[in-house]
Amino acid sequence: MTVRILALVGDAFGARGGIARYNRDLFTALASAGAEILVLPRLGDAAGIALPDGVRQRPAMFGKLRFSLVSLWTAWHFRPVDVVFCGHVFMAPLAVLLARLLGARYWLQAHGTDIWNDRRSSVRRAIEAADQVTTVSRGTRQRLLGWVDLAPERVRVLPNTVDERFVPGPALPALRERLMLGAGPILLTVGRLAASERYKGHELIFAALPALRARFPGLVHVVAGDGDDRARLEARAAELAGDAAVRFLGYVPDEELPDLYRLADLFVMPSAEEGFGIVYLEAAACGLRVIGGAGGGSGDAVPDARVGELVDPADLTGLVEAVARLLGQGRVDAAAIEPYRRPHFAAAAGLLLARLMAQPRRMRGAA
Amino acid sequence: MCGIAGIHAYLDVAPPVDRAELKRINDRMAARGPDGNGLWLSGDGRTGLAHQRLAIIDLSQAGAQPMHSACGRYTITFNGEIYNYRELREGLVTRGYAFRSGSDTEVLLQLYADCGADMVKKLRGMFAFGLWDAEKRTLLLARDALGIKPLYWADDGWTVRFASQAKALLAGGRIGRDPDSAGIVGFHLFGSVPEPFTVWREVHTLPAGTTLTIDASGPQSPKRYYDVAEALAERASARHGDGDGRRLLSDAVRDSVRHHLVADVPVAVFLSAGLDSGALLGTMAALGGQSGAQSVSAVTLAFAEFKGLAVDEAPLAAEVARRYGARHIVRTVDRAEFEADLPAILDAMDLPTIDGINTWFVAKAAHEAGIKVALSGLGADECFGGYPSFADVPRSVHWLRPLSFVPGLGPLVRHGLSAAINAGLRLHPKAAGLLQYGGDWAGAYLLRRSVYMPWELDGLIDPGLVADGLRRLAPLSHIAAALQGARPLGDFDRVAALETALYMRNQLLRDADWAGMSHGVEIRVPYVDPFFLAALPPGDVLARVNAKDAVADVPVPPLPAAVRERRKTGFVTPVGRWLREAAGTPAGDAVDFSAASRSWALRVWRNDWTTPVVA
Repeated sequence: MTVRILALVGDAFGARGGIARYNRDLFTALASAGAEILVLPRLGDAAGIALPDGVRQRPAMFGKLRFSLVSLWTAWHFRPVDVVFCGHVFMAPLAVLLARLLGARYWLQAHGTDIWNDRRSSVRRAIEAADQVTTVSRGTRQRLLGWVDLAPERVRVLPNTVDERFVPGPALPALRERLMLGAGPILLTVGRLAASERYKGHELIFAALPALRARFPGLVHVVAGDGDDRARLEARAAELAGDAAVRFLGYVPDEELPDLYRLADLFVMPSAEEGFGIVYLEAAACGLRVIGGAGGGSGDAVPDARVGELVDPADLTGLVEAVARLLGQGRVDAAAIEPYRRPHFAAAAGLLLARLMAQPRRMRGAA
Repeated sequence: MCGIAGIHAYLDVAPPVDRAELKRINDRMAARGPDGNGLWLSGDGRTGLAHQRLAIIDLSQAGAQPMHSACGRYTITFNGEIYNYRELREGLVTRGYAFRSGSDTEVLLQLYADCGADMVKKLRGMFAFGLWDAEKRTLLLARDALGIKPLYWADDGWTVRFASQAKALLAGGRIGRDPDSAGIVGFHLFGSVPEPFTVWREVHTLPAGTTLTIDASGPQSPKRYYDVAEALAERASARHGDGDGRRLLSDAVRDSVRHHLVADVPVAVFLSAGLDSGALLGTMAALGGQSGAQSVSAVTLAFAEFKGLAVDEAPLAAEVARRYGARHIVRTVDRAEFEADLPAILDAMDLPTIDGINTWFVAKAAHEAGIKVALSGLGADECFGGYPSFADVPRSVHWLRPLSFVPGLGPLVRHGLSAAINAGLRLHPKAAGLLQYGGDWAGAYLLRRSVYMPWELDGLIDPGLVADGLRRLAPLSHIAAALQGARPLGDFDRVAALETALYMRNQLLRDADWAGMSHGVEIRVPYVDPFFLAALPPGDVLARVNAKDAVADVPVPPLPAAVRERRKTGFVTPVGRWLREAAGTPAGDAVDFSAASRSWALRVWRNDWTTPVVA
């Protein structure tokens, strides 16, 4: 029997960012397991994009009221619905309502900062109503269980998967030349440069660069990503490390990222609050060793020394030492990344859906 | 009776089991296994089981654990004893199963192969185990019906870990010590931590009478296979005349004691001057006499302070021991020994508790006497109605229920009385809550059993933690859950269900485990047995035949009249006074255990259980 899923999400197909990518991966996996999914996004434009078989996506609606009303209307016409999937805590109260109206199971996905910041009791109750909650990382799960009253077995972890494009390969000299990076070691950071995401730790790296360049002449820090904090970060880079030490590339399209990872010698992002940190995984999948930040969910993308290390996001000396240590360690063993590849992700997603479907429709008729 | 542990990395991304971590967990339980230990890792390194052995049945290496089935598919680490393992084994042999050892552990492996997780319903005994099925790739965790053997588990979303002791899981080094407000509030309310909570957010108790299956998607919902209230309701549906009552009771006690003597080492008894342990000794002696066994060893705890006083239990216990030809061991404890042992007691205490001190010393005495297994009268008060709660709680509910319908009256009276008590009115602080709580079963039970009441907690621990803990624990709903799902019960059975599912499980049995196992002594409890409970007459019959008194007539010859008489004067130990003084509160001449437990609870809690230290 086909499982019918109504998915309320911030974004999925036709949108950028880690959460959109996660949703796409999840829906693709569930559809390949035979589910039929109707996606209702608040952002993103899937027009002209070939969606996987079994997945349909309605046009985005950003306004809260409009999104709620259209969701109600659409959901009613999508009956019977087996599962209401909620891709962001922001929409959890609506998901609870829809699940109850439709007599469906309610699956909530939590990423990281989405559940760390909003601590209203109404949000807590909307999370506690879920039949199944999935998080991208163990850290997010632990923080969630520290706040809401959910049976621990009901909160499962489904880590990000890494796209097949991210595989080891040769470093392209032409790219090094085009980016004018010189012959020294390259430290790479990929991430949004948003004022709201200063926890990513760019400034700690800038501060470490003078010491590192003294030990590794010609070392350069390449910053990929764009955002409203870029100008400030550029100024801070110049102030802390000098003009020649940091190269800001701006937004780098997904298809160009693998070559950038292959070109670099070390991926460095001592982030304090990463929900998971898909970029760590992509870098490692291309063979690049990784330095992440302790705290948040980074530990799940950097599970052991085969991939890299986590440093204290406030420890400058620790970062300098870690960079010096890891620069000499060569590429990542591909076997360490294999469990994050798509077949494993799809199998785990399928098990979670089966597990949820094995539960009774506990929401039906509930007050 | 041993210690068990395991780690299973169920998610593909999880790193393989760290042998050193598993060893750290297992080593923390070394006191549980003086006769050996074992550690096994699956071929793919994703599952590991460990064991500390106290050998009781099949003392040979064939009984060592973790144990594998002959086919290699199943591996088990098991703590406890299965008293009906010979019957189960015979049944399996007739169905074609072959056995390589004489152990009850192997019976578990074959029984699982025969009927899967439902096997637990057939087991008569005390147990906690982890069983790995390499073909289905599932790990089954199970715990006995009434919660005699403990089992703790933790799941980080990638990997599940379990152990016989919560502190052992922490010793592995991968599990955080973040406080669990529900468990902490529960401890201050009840004097023990109510399951499924511990005082650590990441560590859970597997509830009694429950199984938990872990597959590739992680732990499933725990599945309950036994419920005390259901069992008592079922028992109540069988009608018996009062004449039958005493006979059924005698038969049930004899049958249970007979089952609890299954062992390849001598079985002793903890003997007080009370009816319950005396009846055990008398029954053991009769059964031993039939089989021509040696005399039973009986261990009695005496206190130096009481020597020569009427409250000393040793003389009467000696009379009982003489009557049944037991080898009587009296072990005298004084305050200096209590103080010397206190650091070790607090270290061995697996979860905070206000009790367990007596068991610590009697188990210590047994160990010194070379005893590995002893029967205890624990649980008799729960099934025979020996506690004052059997009278107080129903009386409170029947009298106060009408007043509980007057809106706001209970809280108003409580506020007024609390103020008066604070101003010097000589009443127990809990008395202020009589009207607010006394009119329903959960409230009246809380009032009877609590160390502190909810309104008192803000003055003891961080108010934010109290609010969070009260919301998470919901103490009244937690208590009421012990009565839910059952057909209506009579007054006796209601209190029996509450005492059995709450006080006995969370306090007495848990304390018996850590205090006994610290000395490598297996404590067996014939009055705590679902088969025994089912064989007893219904609660209303037990009440009418005065079950507590009828126990004295189970052995032949019956217990001396002095033992029955003594019951009416009550039992006293100086431990309450020691606890109170150890907690920093000077005690007067009168020993008030209730008051002692309040200050002792705070002393126990100050022992740095969680990080960061709470309040």
